[in-house]
Amino acid sequence: MLICDEYVTPGTLAEAFAAMERHRGRYRVVAGCTDTLPWAREGRAGDVEIPVLIDVSKIPELNERQVGDKRVRLGAATPIQRFLDDAALGRAMPAMPRCAVWFADDQIRAQATLGGNVVNASPAADATPCLEAHDAVVELASAKGKRNMALREFITGPGKTQLAEGELVTGFDCDAFPGYGGSFEKVGHRRSLVISVVCLAVMVKLDRDGLTIEDTRLAIAGIRPVPRRLREIEDHLRGKRLTGALLEEAADMPLDLVQSRTRQEYRRDVVRGFLVRGLIAAAKRAGASPDALTQELEAAYG
Amino acid sequence: MVDIRLNATINGRKVSRDAKPHLRLLDFLRDDLNLTGNKEGCGAGECGTCSVFVDGVLMKSCLMPVAKAQGATVDTIESLAKSGELSVLQKAFHKAGASQCGYCIPGMVMAATAALRANPFADREEIKERLGGNICRCTGYQKIFDAVELARDVQNGRLPSTALLETDTADGDVIGKSVRRIDAPSKVSGRLKYAGDMIMPGMLHVQVLRSPHAHARIVSIDTSAALAIAGVESVITSADVPGKDGFGVFVHDQPIMARDKVRYVGEAVAAVAAEDALTAKRAVAAIKVVYEPLAPVFDPDEAMREGAAIVHDYAPDNITKHIPIRVGDVEAGFAESDLVIEENYSTQAIEHAYLEPEAGLAYIDHDDVVTVVSPSQNITHHRHMLARIIAKPISKVRFIMSPVGGGFGGKEDMIYQGMLALLAMKTMRPVRLVYTREESIISTAKRHPSRTTLRMGVTRDGRIKALAMRMVCDGGAYGLSTEGVMRKAAILAAGPYNIPNVRIDTFGIYTNNTPSGAFRSFGALQTQFATESHLDIIAERLGLDPFEIRRINAMRDGATTHTKQKLGSVSLMRALDAAEQASNWEAGAPTVRGPTRGDLGHDDVRPSVTLGARFAADDKQEAAE
Ligand SMILES: Cc1cc2nc3c(=O)[nH]c(=O)nc-3n(C[C@H](O)[C@H](O)[C@H](O)COP(=O)(O)OP(=O)(O)OC[C@H]3O[C@@H](n4cnc5c(N)ncnc54)[C@H](O)[C@@H]3O)c2cc1C
Ligand code: FES
Ligand code: FES
Repeated sequence: MLICDEYVTPGTLAEAFAAMERHRGRYRVVAGCTDTLPWAREGRAGDVEIPVLIDVSKIPELNERQVGDKRVRLGAATPIQRFLDDAALGRAMPAMPRCAVWFADDQIRAQATLGGNVVNASPAADATPCLEAHDAVVELASAKGKRNMALREFITGPGKTQLAEGELVTGFDCDAFPGYGGSFEKVGHRRSLVISVVCLAVMVKLDRDGLTIEDTRLAIAGIRPVPRRLREIEDHLRGKRLTGALLEEAADMPLDLVQSRTRQEYRRDVVRGFLVRGLIAAAKRAGASPDALTQELEAAYG
Repeated sequence: MVDIRLNATINGRKVSRDAKPHLRLLDFLRDDLNLTGNKEGCGAGECGTCSVFVDGVLMKSCLMPVAKAQGATVDTIESLAKSGELSVLQKAFHKAGASQCGYCIPGMVMAATAALRANPFADREEIKERLGGNICRCTGYQKIFDAVELARDVQNGRLPSTALLETDTADGDVIGKSVRRIDAPSKVSGRLKYAGDMIMPGMLHVQVLRSPHAHARIVSIDTSAALAIAGVESVITSADVPGKDGFGVFVHDQPIMARDKVRYVGEAVAAVAAEDALTAKRAVAAIKVVYEPLAPVFDPDEAMREGAAIVHDYAPDNITKHIPIRVGDVEAGFAESDLVIEENYSTQAIEHAYLEPEAGLAYIDHDDVVTVVSPSQNITHHRHMLARIIAKPISKVRFIMSPVGGGFGGKEDMIYQGMLALLAMKTMRPVRLVYTREESIISTAKRHPSRTTLRMGVTRDGRIKALAMRMVCDGGAYGLSTEGVMRKAAILAAGPYNIPNVRIDTFGIYTNNTPSGAFRSFGALQTQFATESHLDIIAERLGLDPFEIRRINAMRDGATTHTKQKLGSVSLMRALDAAEQASNWEAGAPTVRGPTRGDLGHDDVRPSVTLGARFAADDKQEAAE
C-alpha cells in the first residue's frame, strides 16, 4: 500500500520544481503510477509511506507532441496508448504501434507514460528498445536549467538512470522514420499483461521495387541489463538485396546477445527466430516485393 | 494528512467530497461512495475487476490515485443498467451464460463495452485482444466472447434484439438444454454483494499479523503498543480462544491463530480490529513477537526420514495420512508381463487464484448468535467447528454463505472465520476482513505437490497385468483436506482400466510449507497424470496407438473398480471416441508420424499466440498496395 500525506498535481513545470524544492527529501515523482502503485505492495516494497507524491502527468510541456518528417518530439507524460490512437505518430515511429499493442493492456496503456517506462528502467521495459532504435535523446530539466542526453547513456542498469536529484524528464527527441515498415516481437508467459522475456524492435526501409534494404534499425531488450542496438546487423543488411538467406545470415551473426541469468538457451533460440520473423514482418510492411521473400521462409518463421 | 477536495461527475451525478490523499480511485468508489459493483481482484493492475471509465476511457481504478479523477467524468458498472434496465451487452452476457462466479463479470462487461465502442465491428480475435486486461478463472472465456459477439451483432442490426431473449427451453424441460442462469442479472449489473462488498453500521476493519518464519517457537507476543493506538478496538491472539481450538476438514490440527509455534510463512499470529484498515495495518506493525527459530523441513521425503524436524507432536513421523490399496498379487502380475516399465512423475503446488480474495464479515446479533458471513464452501462443517472453538452451543453460531467469487476447493477451509468471530465477540461490533491478493496467495491452501513412482507390467498385446504406485504429497503445515485428497488420489490412481493386480500407497506428509488442500479433482490429477503418461510411454514401446491401449484395458458396463465398486454404466469408450475426434488424432503408434503434424492447422485449432488483430485491416491493405 502506498501511503502519502499529500498528493500534489502541479499545473506547470515551475510549480513542479517549486513543490520538489519545498518537499526536498520527502517526495516522490509519479506520472501514470502504473509502476509505482504495484511496487508498493507485499512481496516488493511492501507498505511504503512517502510524505508527498508529486504527479507530473498534467504538466502541459510533458504532454506536448510534435510529429515531423525528420524528427518527433514526445513529452514525457505521453501515454503509451497514443502510439495506437495517433496515426501520424504511428507512421513516424512504425515499430511503436506494434510495441504498444503488446504493452500491458488497452487500459493500462491509457495511463502508463513513456517517461515512466524509461525512468523505471526495467530491463524488460518495452518502449526502450523502440526509442533506442530511433536514437532517442532524453530531455531533462530542473530548477537550474535543462540538459540533454542520449537514451543509451541515460539508462545505466536495471532500475538505474542518470536522473539527478530535483530533475524531471520532460521529453524525448527522436529520429522520425516515415516510410519504414515496423514490427515488434515479444514473448512472455502469456499474451496480455506480460513482462517481456525477449522483445525486439525492427524497422526496415526498402528501395522502390521492394527488393533492396536501404536502411534498417534494430534494438533488443529483456535479455540484458539495458537495451542494445544491433548495429552490427544493421550494417550487415544495409544496401543488400532482401532474401531469406540474408535474413537468416543476419540472425546467425555471433553477437552473444543473451546476458540473462536464466533460460539462456531458450532466449538464444527466441532471439534468432525473432530476428528473422521481425525482419520479414517489417519488410512486408515496407512493401517488400512478393518475389523477395519465399513462402517457405514465412511459414517457417510465421 | 491533506485531504483532497474532489469534484467529479460520477455515474452522471456531481460529486464534491473530501478524500484522503492516499486513496486509489477504486477505494474512493467502493469505500467512500459504496459503489461496490467494480471489485478489487488483485490491486496490481493484473485482473481488470476494477475497470471503470474515466472521461470515456477504460482504466484500472486500482492503479489510479483518486486525485487523478479531479474534474473527471467517471462511470462504473452501476452506470450501465440505467434504472435497472440491462444494457445490450449485459443482456447478451445473460443470454450466453457468460457468468459463473460472477466476480470478474462487472469488469468484463466494462471491457466489452469499451471494446465495442472502440470498434463496433470487432471480430472475435480483436475482441479477445481488447479484453486482454481482464481475467476470468471460471468461464474459460468462450461464453464471454460469444456474448460480446452476440451483442455486437444485435447492436449492428445483424441480429434482432429478440436474439438476446430467446430461450431454448420450455417450462420444466431443462435436461440437456442450455438454461439461462437466474443469478446472471445480479452479476452482469454488479449488484450482487460479495462478502467484501458488504458493510454494516459501526463496522470495524480487521488486519492480520502473519509469521515471517517457516518454523519457530513463539516466545512472547506483546500487543500493548498496538492497543495504545487511537482507533484500535481489539487485538487477539490464540490466548483469546475460549474453547477447544483447532479446525481442519479431517483432523482439527490448525489453531485459528498460531499457538505456541508457527509452522509456515504466512500463518496468522494475531489479528487487529480498528476503525479503518490503515489504522489496523499500523497496529499490526506495532505488535511485537519474539520468535525462537526451529529447524524447518520443506521436503516431504525428508520429512519421512528418521530425525527430521517434527511439525506436529501428535504425528512424530510427519505422516498426515497414508492410504494403501491392495488387489491381487502385483509381483505375480509383473512376472506374467512381457514389458515392465518404471518411471517417476512429479507435479507442483498450484494456487486456485479465484478472482475473489477471501473476505468475511462477522457480528453478534440481538440474540447473541455469533454470525459469520463468508464465501465458505463448507458452512455446516464450519459452524460445528466454530461452536467448539468459541465454546458456544451450536444454536448460538450461524454461518451465512455469501456469493463465492470462485472457490475451486480453496474456500473449504475455515482459515479466517474464527478470527472474525472472536473479534466480533470481543468488540460486540461488526468486523470485516478483506484479504489482499498477496495475502490470499501466501496463506491459503494450494494443490498438493506430488512425487510418484509408478511401475506397470503389460503383455505384448497391451493388456495391463500389474500396477504398483507410491505417491508422496507435500501436505504442508496443516492437515486441511489432505486425508480426503490422499484417499481419492488412491481410489482413482489405477484409472478406469481393468488391472488384476494393484498396489497403491499415497502419503500426505506434514512439512513447513504452505498447507495443501482441496483443489479441483481432489488428488485424482496427481496420480492420473502418472498413470496416463505411463500409458503413452508404454504405447510407444509396444508400437500401439495410445487410444488403442486405453480401449484394450478400458472398464466396460458392469465392471468392478479396484476398490470393489460395481459400475452400472461406464462412458469411457464414448469419451475416448469423442477425444479422438476432437483432437484430429492421427491414428497409429506415437512413433509413426513424420516431421509434420497433421493434427494442427485445422479451423478448430488455435494458431500460436500473437497480438495485433486490430491491425489486420491495415495489414491487408498494405499487402494489396
Ligand atoms: C499489469 C501491468 C502490466 C504492465 N505491462 C507492461 C508491459 O507490457 N511493458 C512494459 O514495458 N511495462 C509494463 N508495465 C509497467 C508500466 O506500466 C510501465 O513501465 C509504464 O510505462 C510506467 O509509466 P508510469 O507513468 O505509469 O510510471 P510511474 O509509476 O508513474 O513512474 C515510474 C517511475 O518513473 C518516475 N517518473 C515518471 N515520470 C517521470 C518524469 N517525467 N521525470 C522523472 N521521473 C519520472 C517515477 O518517479 C517512478 O520512479 C506494466 C505494469 C502493470 C501494472
Ligand atoms: S486490475 Fe485492478 S484490481 Fe485487479
Ligand atoms: S465468472 Fe469469471 S472469475 Fe468467476
